[in-house]
Amino acid sequence: MPVEIPKDSWPGSVNTVTLGATGDQGGSRTSTVTIGGEQSLPFMHFENPTPHRPVIAMEVAAARPADWSAVLLEAWGSTLDDPAVWARACEDAGADLIVLQFGLKGSDDGPVSAEFAVEVVKEVMDSTGLPLVVLGPGQAEIDNSILVPIADATKGERIVLGLCEEGNYRTIVAAAMANDHLVLGKTPMDVNLAKQLNILMTDMGLPLDRIVMDPTTGALGYGIEYGYSVMERLRLAALQGDAMTQLPMLVTPGVETWKTKESKVGAGIPDEWGEWAERGVNWETLTAVALIEAGADVVVLRHPQSLVRVRAAIAELTASETA
Amino acid sequence: MAGYTAKFDTVTEAVMVSAGELVVEVADRAGIEIHQPCGGQGRCGRCAVRIESGRVRRRSVLRLSQADLDAGYALACQTVVEGDVSIVVPPPERIQRRLTTDHIAPESVVPEGYDPEKAQTVRRVLLSLSPPSMDDQTDDWGRVAMALRRATGVDRLEASLEQIWHLGGILRSSDWQIAVTFVAGGTEGETARLIRVQPATEAENEPLCGLAIDIGTTTVTIWLVDLTTGRVLHQASEYNQQITRGEDVISRIIYGSKGAGGDDLRALVLETINGLVEAACRRTGIDHRAIAKATIGGNSTMMHLLLGVPPESIRLEPFVTAINNWPLLRAEEVGIAMHADGVVDALPGVASYVGADITAGVLAAGLRSTPDTTLFIDVGTNGEIVLGSSEWLVTCACSAGPAFEGAGILHGMRADKGAIEEVWIDGNTYEPTCRVIGNVPPRGICGSGLISLVAEMFVTGIVDKGGHINLTLETPRVRRSVKGAEYVVAWADEAETDQDIVITRVDIDNLLRAKAAIYAGFNVLADVVSVGLESVQKVLIGGSFGKYINVEKAVGIGLLPDLPWERFDYLGNTSVRGAYLALLDREARAEIARIAASMIYIELSADNTFYEAFTSAMFLPHTDLSRFPSVAAAMTNEG
Amino acid sequence: MALSGIQIYKMLPQTNCKECGFATCLAFAMKLAAKQAELDGCPYVTEESKAALAESATPPIRLVTLKGKAGEAKAGNEVVLFRHEKTFYNRPGVFIRVLDTEDDEVIENKVRTGSSYSVDYVGMELRIDGFAVEAASGDRTRLATVVEALRASTGLPLILVGSDPAVLSGGLDKLEGEAPLIMGADTSNWEAMADLAAGRGAALGIRGGSIEELAQLSEKIKEKGVEDLVLYPAVDSMSASLALNTQIRRLALKNFRPLGYPTIAFAAASGDQGRESLMAAQAICKYAGFVVIDTFAPELIYPLLVLRENIFTDPQKPIQVLPALYEINSPGRSDPVLVTTNFSITYFSVANEVEGAGLPAWLLVTDAEGMSVLTAWAAGKFDAESIAKAVKQFGVADKVDQKWIVLPGHTAVLSGELEEELPDWVIKVGPREAVDLPGYMRQVLN
Repeated sequence: MPVEIPKDSWPGSVNTVTLGATGDQGGSRTSTVTIGGEQSLPFMHFENPTPHRPVIAMEVAAARPADWSAVLLEAWGSTLDDPAVWARACEDAGADLIVLQFGLKGSDDGPVSAEFAVEVVKEVMDSTGLPLVVLGPGQAEIDNSILVPIADATKGERIVLGLCEEGNYRTIVAAAMANDHLVLGKTPMDVNLAKQLNILMTDMGLPLDRIVMDPTTGALGYGIEYGYSVMERLRLAALQGDAMTQLPMLVTPGVETWKTKESKVGAGIPDEWGEWAERGVNWETLTAVALIEAGADVVVLRHPQSLVRVRAAIAELTASETA
Repeated sequence: MAGYTAKFDTVTEAVMVSAGELVVEVADRAGIEIHQPCGGQGRCGRCAVRIESGRVRRRSVLRLSQADLDAGYALACQTVVEGDVSIVVPPPERIQRRLTTDHIAPESVVPEGYDPEKAQTVRRVLLSLSPPSMDDQTDDWGRVAMALRRATGVDRLEASLEQIWHLGGILRSSDWQIAVTFVAGGTEGETARLIRVQPATEAENEPLCGLAIDIGTTTVTIWLVDLTTGRVLHQASEYNQQITRGEDVISRIIYGSKGAGGDDLRALVLETINGLVEAACRRTGIDHRAIAKATIGGNSTMMHLLLGVPPESIRLEPFVTAINNWPLLRAEEVGIAMHADGVVDALPGVASYVGADITAGVLAAGLRSTPDTTLFIDVGTNGEIVLGSSEWLVTCACSAGPAFEGAGILHGMRADKGAIEEVWIDGNTYEPTCRVIGNVPPRGICGSGLISLVAEMFVTGIVDKGGHINLTLETPRVRRSVKGAEYVVAWADEAETDQDIVITRVDIDNLLRAKAAIYAGFNVLADVVSVGLESVQKVLIGGSFGKYINVEKAVGIGLLPDLPWERFDYLGNTSVRGAYLALLDREARAEIARIAASMIYIELSADNTFYEAFTSAMFLPHTDLSRFPSVAAAMTNEG
Repeated sequence: MALSGIQIYKMLPQTNCKECGFATCLAFAMKLAAKQAELDGCPYVTEESKAALAESATPPIRLVTLKGKAGEAKAGNEVVLFRHEKTFYNRPGVFIRVLDTEDDEVIENKVRTGSSYSVDYVGMELRIDGFAVEAASGDRTRLATVVEALRASTGLPLILVGSDPAVLSGGLDKLEGEAPLIMGADTSNWEAMADLAAGRGAALGIRGGSIEELAQLSEKIKEKGVEDLVLYPAVDSMSASLALNTQIRRLALKNFRPLGYPTIAFAAASGDQGRESLMAAQAICKYAGFVVIDTFAPELIYPLLVLRENIFTDPQKPIQVLPALYEINSPGRSDPVLVTTNFSITYFSVANEVEGAGLPAWLLVTDAEGMSVLTAWAAGKFDAESIAKAVKQFGVADKVDQKWIVLPGHTAVLSGELEEELPDWVIKVGPREAVDLPGYMRQVLN
């Protein structure tokens, strides 16, 4: 029985965005990462090939993280003490990107400062050739105080700066525009809010191929379904031709899952939850893969074992087969 | 280089013109200052001059109607002189004329062919009674009843005991020449109820009056009406004093459901109504006892609170009212300052959040009299929306908040004397020009003014699409205060209140929320019944946010759909207008009952659709700019 | 596809005769669209309209119910490709596979722990749905023995996996009165399998490597009178499985009847548990009606059952966060307690403002059924009682010395009652808008 396979033909596509710049391109990265470009829903190879596979970013904290799960502390060991060493280890483990996350603390437990921030960024860039995403602690004034000097000190590197939110987008967008960087816009789990921030940022003159968006997703068990559906809707809108949704998406299963009780806590939990470390990795990988199938272009992870598994899943999903 | 001459009507000397010069530039050299509120960008249309003769090239005619063009008008800032010309500069007050995009509420007019004999349920007849005698020992009451039957056909007459106490005295002191006011359904042989008996001589100098009342959550409006001629003798409105107990219906319900809260709210709204009635009586010299009938529109909560019915069930699932169809009530039990035996007709509602204000509004808007698909939007604290035609009507309600009525806004006020009702902002200097109701120093900003102000701030880049004020602009009018970012609309020395009149970020947020709720409301409603908004032939706007609405600016902020301007009509307060029609005409009153029975209420909170549409509309003009092609085009032009 | 009220209205007489009990035909049509009325209510509707409306009411994917001795597993009746378009209805059944070649003890152990497994997730008891028994031995008697033993320890629905109808019938003998799934029919054995399924009242799985193969088989088997069918797209990779499942769902939703059945996925993957977990996760998200896994391990089952619960949550309900006491910027014992509702956007706007300003605070999120502060307050879901309840439930008093609780400004009116409910606390009325919180906290609370 011949059956005609329904193929969607979409008028729109996701923007292609390149993160990082090599020596030839005015930066110092040994490789760049290109994401986006999708013309179909994720992995519908019978319609169109996946132009750029989803990539894995590993999160590196600028100062040793105080509140990370013991499972993660054990997995990384002493590398956590030095962001440069840590970033190098991520690269060796097969990461595509490094997300350098600043907190409120700088060196010696003092408050984070511009000097500290610039220095950490430079050290990390010296130790790894991967492109970088640099995130402030998420408080507008402090973010501006470190991200602007970082942007100035790394002109031309095509770093992704974040987080840009509706209340503080102007400064970061201006810093990115002045120094050939990219920005990461983050909005709280809502299609319209995501579009609105993208409109505001592009209204300032920032080209669309220099924006990545984080539509925010919850962890498995903690609202993953909302983020999942927001991502599916954004991607559908992008393919339907809505320019303000045609941005590649970055999501953070690592941050979200490792703060859940399931991943963070090992003692005093029900037997039905099973073995701690494996549960934590499952929590992170299930979240990541579900979101990749909803359209994520970048997933930011924490556990090295998750990196291995999600990488294998991405390889399997992008392997072009005729179904 | 071609040289032309230009002659202005107010200046004797002609001036020389070089090629490519604009009328404003030429006028400036002639010593005539033409005011340009928008900074010469062709946006505000306030610099119109009349070209009496000669050749000019109009770069933009966006603000001029065909009639304007036919009369020779041109915008001084957009018009290039290309020949010897003669120009008339209208005096400033002429420039203040309304634009084609200003839609002004119509004046009240008596319905054509109004005949109280046929239409009115309350009537007054003069009766000349023969005095009793030993031959005719009929009792006083029987004498009146019989005379009334002879005069009107009314078969049975009822009255309060108090009427009967005074009957004998009035009959004798008037020498048996009396005027009887009564209410009756109008069919032959039915029961009538006595409202008033007075000496005929007294009635001769006193019109028989009625009240049309709209009780809004924020504003109460009354019209004092001569029931015999149908003429509106006086119109007045005031903030509902209940506001001090909460701005929205929910606060009122909660307040009214606790302890003596209900009594308090009832007293407050009665105080508001009676204050207005007494003022109207004073202004017109009418005795309040001459008011025999009141017809009331208002949302379901306001109606419950006025009539002292516990409103609690309105806000709780499954959202039912205590009563939608009220019986005819007696004035004294209601508490309105009119004749104690007068009748109060509380109009019927449909549902908890679709009340008599909207059924009356639908009548006033004439929705059921056209086969064309019509959208009726009542912009108020509770936004109510009706879509339909003579065939069908669907309705929904959404909570917009009181911003459009000037409440909940730092310097907001009602559309009264001293209210800024329209604003133009110069795109280069960010200086505003305001039109103030009554041409006095401003006291605050009314709903129309807010719409206009935010539209101008958006077009000139003072706020971005998210409504954030751009603090980096080079003007002292944009500043940060303890309340956050704000824009100064009028400096203290220009204002009546001796303080800067500002609009704050929070005000803008409130307005955005209000307009987003309304926009989302009618979009979801249209979606539910699968009607495309572009197929809507007429958009009727009701509400008491101003004397008029500038459709272009209301579209510009995304309050109204982007349809051709001529499809819009501003009707003003449709609730009181509908109450007025029902007050006069029993047929109109019956039609309201039919409207209430046929409207289908759509609950917006049933799923996420409304919320989605709302957040999407929480942007200037809208997250999806393709819904606003005219605004998009204007933005490209401003570039 | 479901019709809108207006579409139905066009099929009605439009006479507004009121005999259906509604004021107008439109009102009746709206009720029909909302499935709150029956078409029989209209005495004048044409046969033609009746047929069209009946057609629109037939679900594009057949509902298949597997029944065990105790419990059942339903799949099908889905109407959308994306959960946001409406919702996904029937949670895919999670089945654990055992091989009849495994030791009795191993099987017994797996079945007992599996069937008694239950985990609490936000007050819900999550469990697996049944077992798949694979006739790997090829021995009819062995399969019968294993099934019989299994029935001694669980009543959950079963799937019998094998390619020889004669062997499977041995297992079916032990499942009288149940509706198991026979897995399954392929091009070589479909006739015998169809006869077997028809004779035993079992649902029949169809194995095929392509859309064409599956469609062809389902048509033929349906002709033999078996209608409870389940499709098994038998491909190996995650990508091929995703593609086939998507194509089947798309075609089914276009009312292509040969594919209008639920699908089954086998996530087992040669001992690679990491891959197995991700295959199963994909199957849950992307359209499987039944998911079979080999590994029974709580650390895997728990997240899979949670994922299933999440993906099958009705998205039309407002987006909620879990009611809890949230910590913002590591609050201490003297920091204030801010109260808000569990509508996600409300929570985010409050949390972001405070977090962004670097101010430490406790954020108490009450269960207001996912409504915003104003809506919840309006509907009576956010009042003094519910706030006081949350304060107690989350042990807030144990976390702070300075008992200051800040109400959203819109609900100032609650402060009096809250004082009565929480006599030890100082009730403060905060600003109406989240954006004003940092300023308020700096000025008023210090």
